[in-house]
Amino acid sequence: MQAAAPRPGLGVGLGTLLLAALLLAAVVLGTGLGSVTIPPGEVLGALWRGVTRQALEGNDVIVWQIRLPRVVMGALVGASLSVCGGAFQGVFRNPLADPYLLGVASGSALGATVAIVAGWPRALIPVSALLAALAAVACTLWLAREGRRFPPTRLILAGVVVGSVLSAATTALILRGEDRARQVLAYTLGDLGFSGWRDVLTVLPYAALGCGALLLLARALDTLQLGELTARSLGVPVERLRLIAVIAASLATAGAVAYVGVIGFVGLIVPHMIRLAFGPGHRTLLPLSALLGGALMVGADLLARTTPLSQVGIVTTLLGGPFFLWLLRKERHD
Amino acid sequence: MTFPIKGILTLITLSAALSGAAAATSYPLTITDDLGRKVTLKAEPKRIISVLPSTSETVCALGLCDRLVGVDDYSDYPQQVTKLPKVGGLYNPNIEAMVALKPDVVIVSQYGKLAEPLTQAGITVIAVNPETYDEVFSKTLLLGKILNREAQAKTLVGKIKGDIARVEILTKNAVRQPTAYFEIDPTPYSIGPNSFMGVLLTKAGARNIIPASMGDFPKVDPEFIVKANPQLILGVDAKTAGARPGWSGISALKTGKVKDIPSELNTMLGRPGPRLGQALMGLAKLIHPELFK
Repeated sequence: MQAAAPRPGLGVGLGTLLLAALLLAAVVLGTGLGSVTIPPGEVLGALWRGVTRQALEGNDVIVWQIRLPRVVMGALVGASLSVCGGAFQGVFRNPLADPYLLGVASGSALGATVAIVAGWPRALIPVSALLAALAAVACTLWLAREGRRFPPTRLILAGVVVGSVLSAATTALILRGEDRARQVLAYTLGDLGFSGWRDVLTVLPYAALGCGALLLLARALDTLQLGELTARSLGVPVERLRLIAVIAASLATAGAVAYVGVIGFVGLIVPHMIRLAFGPGHRTLLPLSALLGGALMVGADLLARTTPLSQVGIVTTLLGGPFFLWLLRKERHD
Repeated sequence: MTFPIKGILTLITLSAALSGAAAATSYPLTITDDLGRKVTLKAEPKRIISVLPSTSETVCALGLCDRLVGVDDYSDYPQQVTKLPKVGGLYNPNIEAMVALKPDVVIVSQYGKLAEPLTQAGITVIAVNPETYDEVFSKTLLLGKILNREAQAKTLVGKIKGDIARVEILTKNAVRQPTAYFEIDPTPYSIGPNSFMGVLLTKAGARNIIPASMGDFPKVDPEFIVKANPQLILGVDAKTAGARPGWSGISALKTGKVKDIPSELNTMLGRPGPRLGQALMGLAKLIHPELFK
């Protein structure tokens, strides 16, 4: 479905501008609205007082210490998942690939569940989630390995199997620790609830490293779309590219998932939307996915905070699922 | 004279029960349970399974602990029940074990879908599920009726109410009633004023920051808590609370009024059963230590 020829669509420059404006609007709205409504002037005042290190007054604490980190975290996670989604779809040349494909989500869910059920301190939950996610990916890679190669079909199959086994283990643990079931559930539904600046700073390196590497690989990913043989004949080290991309994407995803839980559909859908509007080239696809993914995630969290849907993962899945089905039908008709 | 309406009937039944004139329950007894089913007990139950910790406590408080032949995994009070066969929890009930224990009646909660398979296995199932504060008393009386211990149930209700009243007299006179946030789950979930725990919080002499409109056990947006700026935070330890973004400025943290609930008190507070008065006492001591010196 991905024609290599550039599609007619919005100009990339204009598109970038529009999406950046969308992200900015989402951030401004997300910072102003919530269970307490704060007028834009007051938001700006709070930001100014924070930046200039003045004493925080009134709603400043809410803006500066609660909402802004939450919004920034949302943008960061949405951007990470979307970039990783776009990259995975390119690496596996599979439109259904998403950041959770290789068992990242089920791995981190298991890690978090172990920590929650065992009653470890909150600070250890993401650590445990992250380690388990990376272990899950390593396991998938090991299972899928054929000599020095990682054939896409084997990778996806291995990812699905690893994911299922880990999910079963998670469920078994939840049943054993019933009284903490709600906390585990909240995690597996994705939540930005207590995201603070420290969390943002912890996720940032994973996102920067992972997404940065993927952006550098964008041109090679484009070449890969011409087919493995062609890419190889053009001098692209296909296997190494695949491995590096998978590791980079898993790192960024695991970092995000460890801190905010499992957030469905953003990484699957955002790259499709960008591809529809701007064509399939990864050098535009990945950065624009970051902008749109960030904006969508901030918007979804705003909905989660202000409606009984209550958790951002529920919102993204409720909105994302139907949209994806619509996309599937539309492509068939095209 | 008009015909007595349902309310009057209820009143008469209630006053009969309260006057102590209650005779022994006559069987067969048909009642409507919390699942809305009509259930008939052929005779006084001698072999009882309880799958709710609060029900296990009530059955024992009615003096029928030795009639319990099995309890759920979480029943742990009084001590005696810990030695009984375990029949699983809400999500993983062991129906075979329940059937094997040959109970006369299994008292279930309205959740968990146990009624149908057990009924099909020929076992009498009654759903009794106290949820609100008032239901703690009405369901205790109901259990008394079901188990032929109406007088004991009446006495038990009187005792719980007495325990509660004694604490309330103290806390009503407290000079300061702090605004309080009570966290029951770190995701975070809290309690509304109409939940039975919310009623206890108020009776213990605190003003709940959660309005009734948010529901009985609402998931709370953390910024709501910061905005409400409670003078007291219960259910979180000070270290955890202090590490949450924006919380260090909350009045309760500044004055060191952040108190985790000791696990035994926490268990009591979560059970709408006979230890309600004790739970209230524990809570009141946490909120107003000065009254209990």
